[in-house]
Amino acid sequence: MNIDFDVKGLNFYYPGGHHSLKNINLQVYKHSITALIGPSGCGKTTLLRCFNRMHDLYPGNRYEGEILFEGRNILTQGVDLISLRSRIGMVFQKPTPFPMTIFDNIAYGLKLRGVKKRGLLSEKVEHALIQAALWNEVKDKLHQSAYALSGGQQQRLVIARALAVEPEAILFDEPTSALDPISTAKIEELVEELKKDVTILIVTHNLQQAARVSEWTGFLMLGELVEFEKTEQMFTSPREKLTEDYITGRFG
Amino acid sequence: MKFKYSPMDWVFKVVTAAAALTIVVIFAGILVVLIRESSPAIKAFGVFKFIFSTDWDPVKESFGAATNLFGTLVTTFLSLLLALPVAIGIAIFLTEIAPSFLKGPFGVAIEMLAAIPSIIYGMWGLFTLSPLMGNHIEPWLQNTIGKLPLVGILFQGTPMGVDLLTASLILSIMVIPFTASIARDAFQLTPAIVKESAYAMGATKWEVVKNVVLPYSKLGVFGGAVLSLGRALGETMAVAFVLGNNHQITKSLFDAAATITVTLANEFTEASGRIYLSSLFYIALLLFVLSFVLLTMAKLLLFKTGKQESPR
Amino acid sequence: MSERTRKIESALALVLSTVAALVGLFWLVFILGDLIMKGASALTPSLFLHNPTPEGVEGGGLKNAFVGQGLITLFATLFGVPIGLLGGTFLAEYAGHGKVTRTISALSDIMISVPTMVVGTFIYAVMVKPLGHFSGWAGSVALAVVMVPVVLRTTENMLRLVPWTLREAAFALGAPKYKVITQVVYRGAITGIFTGVLLSIARVAGETAPLLFTSFSNNFFSTDMKGPVASLTVTIFQYAMGPYDDWHQQAWAAALVITLFILVITIVGRIFIKLRYGNK
Repeated sequence: MNIDFDVKGLNFYYPGGHHSLKNINLQVYKHSITALIGPSGCGKTTLLRCFNRMHDLYPGNRYEGEILFEGRNILTQGVDLISLRSRIGMVFQKPTPFPMTIFDNIAYGLKLRGVKKRGLLSEKVEHALIQAALWNEVKDKLHQSAYALSGGQQQRLVIARALAVEPEAILFDEPTSALDPISTAKIEELVEELKKDVTILIVTHNLQQAARVSEWTGFLMLGELVEFEKTEQMFTSPREKLTEDYITGRFG
Repeated sequence: MKFKYSPMDWVFKVVTAAAALTIVVIFAGILVVLIRESSPAIKAFGVFKFIFSTDWDPVKESFGAATNLFGTLVTTFLSLLLALPVAIGIAIFLTEIAPSFLKGPFGVAIEMLAAIPSIIYGMWGLFTLSPLMGNHIEPWLQNTIGKLPLVGILFQGTPMGVDLLTASLILSIMVIPFTASIARDAFQLTPAIVKESAYAMGATKWEVVKNVVLPYSKLGVFGGAVLSLGRALGETMAVAFVLGNNHQITKSLFDAAATITVTLANEFTEASGRIYLSSLFYIALLLFVLSFVLLTMAKLLLFKTGKQESPR
Repeated sequence: MSERTRKIESALALVLSTVAALVGLFWLVFILGDLIMKGASALTPSLFLHNPTPEGVEGGGLKNAFVGQGLITLFATLFGVPIGLLGGTFLAEYAGHGKVTRTISALSDIMISVPTMVVGTFIYAVMVKPLGHFSGWAGSVALAVVMVPVVLRTTENMLRLVPWTLREAAFALGAPKYKVITQVVYRGAITGIFTGVLLSIARVAGETAPLLFTSFSNNFFSTDMKGPVASLTVTIFQYAMGPYDDWHQQAWAAALVITLFILVITIVGRIFIKLRYGNK
């Protein structure tokens, strides 16, 4: 199996020196789904946001160690964040449509990259919406505001927006935490479908979700990666006592 | 058990209610009194005739508001035109660029600009800015933009520094802090997570501002602009010194003019004759109505931004 | 557009925004610097201690205007603050969020920005014209009219920030509503209200337009509020427009004093707010 991201000795500090990720080592395999679980404040979202360097938006954050992506460490100074981020998509806890039409939302990433031809844009937008299982619901209102959609639809729109630029990987940060069960099921189904084309990292507070969709799971506690295993393995016979306590609901 | 109702409670409520109603009373009072005082002029000159008449002749006792309205509208819009780009730039700087240790002090500096009394702006304009404009900046403008076709007309005449351009520039400096602080507040309503998701797509900072923040806050920025128009409209002392009180509709920005407020400041205490004074009240009434309309518009726009539809 | 051009465009836009910020700062430094340079030299004790000399005669001071300004502002505060305070109390504590509240709040917001010159003409019509002469009282009332909506809105906002649980706790002890408001709610909002009052004083202390036809001006020392009273701002207006260098000097000095007074109050107010409510 190909390794897509190789995390080696990653440490992360928030401003004021708060040490929130401690010596993380893990491999994310190409076209697989990797889930990150753990109690609130364990650092799972912090870890996820290292992969596209979101922490760089705010001053005073500091990385140590390496995340190798295609053999290059993406945590070094010289990395071009704009091209990095255009190759690694991200989906957030809440739907984040931009204040524009449905079509323009999906086309946004393409337009950033200089795609101007209307025909090509339409084609790619349609393709992304079909991939995100949203096409049938929105094909007649592509030029309406994205805010008119329901929460679940907005989240799929955001996924379609990420897909449109054909990224290598997509980072999901608790993508269903603001959604109802039916929308959640649709998103989960979609995520499983997507791994044919992209590598997926998903942070979730929902253990069943991790068990249902992922192939690999990392369990974090207090900034440390307690265990990283095949999902099946972790949920049936975890190596660590701490993991067992967490997944059987003894704390967290 | 019986609930005891304190009579003091009733008294307190009535007193506070009366105090709250003073606002309504003052507002209605201003309207009624201005209409009453201007009624001789309204009777003499009508409404449309007064608004469109360029007469302002105390000797013949023939008055019209057109020259005053012209000066008021030109300085108001020109000042906003000059202020808006700077104000939006300041708002972008404050929300997206300035390191956090600079945000506080810089915000205070901009607020100080708003706190300086208008009479100071006026005096500084008269003694410092006006000579600077008349001797250096306006001749330079005349030799550059003034040579262009069409817009060139706006820069004709002898640059004296006491004119529409100088007055508008001073007004724009006064208006910058208002517009900037409202634009900043509107920018800050953009949810961080939506901005982050634009960054996560590889957008540059400017692209995030242009495609997410500005569309998100356009109602608020527009409301702020309208509010600033309302402010500029009623400003008196900042322009009283440098406009020249010239009752004419002029073509060039280098000509002196008069605004409603400047006319009032210069002529009110010297107005002799019933019709003259009544006409002054009449233009004050027009100013009141005009600013009420603009401010109500701004209020509605800003109210809308407060509860604008947002992603669920 | 290539990534390179996009980055250049972004950098350019950010540089322009920073330039805009510097333009704003430039005006502040320019105006304040000019004011200090020209005002400081005329800032002598006699400015505060002497009354104006007859027109054309060198020397003299602006004691009359300093005292007059103080009197007019003091009475404006005494008229305006209680009304604004009580009105804001009504909106926040009794009127709820209904139509009445919203209308009065909106009207106050509009009144805050209504041209102060219009207020001057209004007070002229109701106080100066009927009595046939200018008066300090008229000036104070004009400034109070400017002040009321400012104080009212701040009070309303500050009272709304006081948590409901605090009121409920007081009611639970059996206190009648007026006591809950005056003894508990006011205490919870005191810093905010006090700051609002300070800022409203700063706001009216620099007003000129409402005083031009109300308190007018007076070349002599007078504390008789029934007659015309000199104010700093109107004096600055007259002196700056006047022909004498000596007048201009004094106008600059008076302008410096009044600006410093207002800026200090504004900054102190901001510090209070920051200490009490944190950032924002």
